[in-house]
Amino acid sequence: MIEDGNPAVEVRSLRRTFKGGVEAVRDIDLGISRGEVFGFLGPNGAGKTTTVRMLCTLLPPTSGSARVAGIDVVADGAGVRRRIGVALQEIGLDPVQTGRELLELQCGLYGITGTDARARADELLELVGLSEAADRRTKTYSGGMKRRLDLASALVHSPEVLFLDEPTTGLDPASRLTVWDEVRRINATGTTVFLTTQYLEEADQLCDRVAIIDAGTIVAEGTPESLKAQMGHDVVRVELDGADAARVEAAFGGLEGLERVVTEADALAMYVEDGAGSIAEIVRRLDNAEIRVGAIAVSRPSLDDVFLRATGRRLEGAEEEQEEQEEEAA
Amino acid sequence: MTETLLLGRRAVREIARYPEATIPALFIPLFFLAVNIGQVSETFPDTTPFLNGQGYAAFQMPVSLMFAVATATSGLALVTEIDNGYFDKLLAAPIRRSSIIFGRLAADLVRGLMGSTVVLIAGLAFGVHMQSGVLGAVVLVVLAALFGVGYAGFGILVALRTRNVQATNTSFLLFFPLLFLTPNFVPFDRLTPVMEALARINPVSYVIVGLRSLVIDGWVWDQLAVCLGVIIALMALLTALSLRAIASYDRD
Repeated sequence: MIEDGNPAVEVRSLRRTFKGGVEAVRDIDLGISRGEVFGFLGPNGAGKTTTVRMLCTLLPPTSGSARVAGIDVVADGAGVRRRIGVALQEIGLDPVQTGRELLELQCGLYGITGTDARARADELLELVGLSEAADRRTKTYSGGMKRRLDLASALVHSPEVLFLDEPTTGLDPASRLTVWDEVRRINATGTTVFLTTQYLEEADQLCDRVAIIDAGTIVAEGTPESLKAQMGHDVVRVELDGADAARVEAAFGGLEGLERVVTEADALAMYVEDGAGSIAEIVRRLDNAEIRVGAIAVSRPSLDDVFLRATGRRLEGAEEEQEEQEEEAA
Repeated sequence: MTETLLLGRRAVREIARYPEATIPALFIPLFFLAVNIGQVSETFPDTTPFLNGQGYAAFQMPVSLMFAVATATSGLALVTEIDNGYFDKLLAAPIRRSSIIFGRLAADLVRGLMGSTVVLIAGLAFGVHMQSGVLGAVVLVVLAALFGVGYAGFGILVALRTRNVQATNTSFLLFFPLLFLTPNFVPFDRLTPVMEALARINPVSYVIVGLRSLVIDGWVWDQLAVCLGVIIALMALLTALSLRAIASYDRD
């Protein structure tokens, strides 16, 4: 196990620049304690996977340093690999093998052989609910089953730190909940979990602490609760529906309890002390200024609000927008 | 060593589970053998001096053997794993990267032994007589399989360098000029001067000559030595390049 005093993951000024000058990760710092579930939240292309690949020794950093389980990823890559489990975004399964064969082979690669390997494979198949499908080739598995088997294969050697790169991307809601349960169970045994996600709810539900990464830089870090608390009390979101943002914002000048206003593409997010109590005054002011807007909604701040404040745009729906743009471009 | 054995066993298991990847690859050499014999046997009867009393099948069999063992199967399997993420899973395990290559080559050895045995049996069915006897037949199969192991390194190298399925698949095309710029249909001295010059600088020619000597002439040690030397050099060069490619994979 990790020696006392050594954090599970310690990253200093870590940077990765690809050929052509693309700066995927820009001087990030991270400290993850033993036993934590740490979430790395950000949109596609933010630098999450590049960071994970550096921490798993699959990619060398351009500069900076990283220690995993107390071991430097550059100086002793093999030492790090012995102590970590890895389930990357691309589900790494050999379609020719059965689930059981794949786990037994994976055991062998970590020095667990013979009856020990068979027992460990059985145990893990049971853990991820794949005992009945154990002797079927993995190419016949559903997406959720493949993801669970991939997770099991990352656990054969009881790793100290488990890296999960977008473990629920592409899964249906039921499979997503199953993976969450697995992650909680694994963490309960003392394994530190470093997971990347683009899902706010996943970070909120699963993670003890979260770092938000955007364009290769960490823009916010803390517990989900503390990050949301920094945003204020309530959020009143006013859809502009074509109205002029500056006029709308001007109409709310001096509004009681107003802590912050953030402008979005077609909305204003107002962080106020008492959302419900402010609605009547907000409507009255809009009416007086003869401004017509779309829907007005009150909610508690979410991690998406944290993301919005840090980056000026929302994460929620960003993937759909990106896909739409790509489809239009095509 | 254990990890190489484990990965080799897995790759061999692939052969059994994907017969559709192996059987079509055997069709081409058997087809060439049958067609060439059918077309040229009248031109080169068993009285032809370079056939040493045998039919033309004996002259052609080494070429078919090489066709049977020179495949891009390992390269394709590797590039598929790069594509589906399993390769990263292996790289993230505490194993020597070289074991991934050696595991694949172990499967090539098994595939080569199987393929060349099938072609040998077909050759015997066409009336080929192994002048070097049973032991010669074993050496013939082993040498052909080793050539296949050496050649597999090329597909593996292309897979690692390009990470592209199409590029790896078309790498097989390189084999055609290597195989046909040789004394594959007639001996060196029956080729035109230009073809002979090209054939003499093509190392594959000496593999064919060596294998053929086992079939037609018996134990011709100098030709066998050159044949073995070329095969070892090919294996050493392409395996070394593959090992270097995997060692530097995503490390720059």
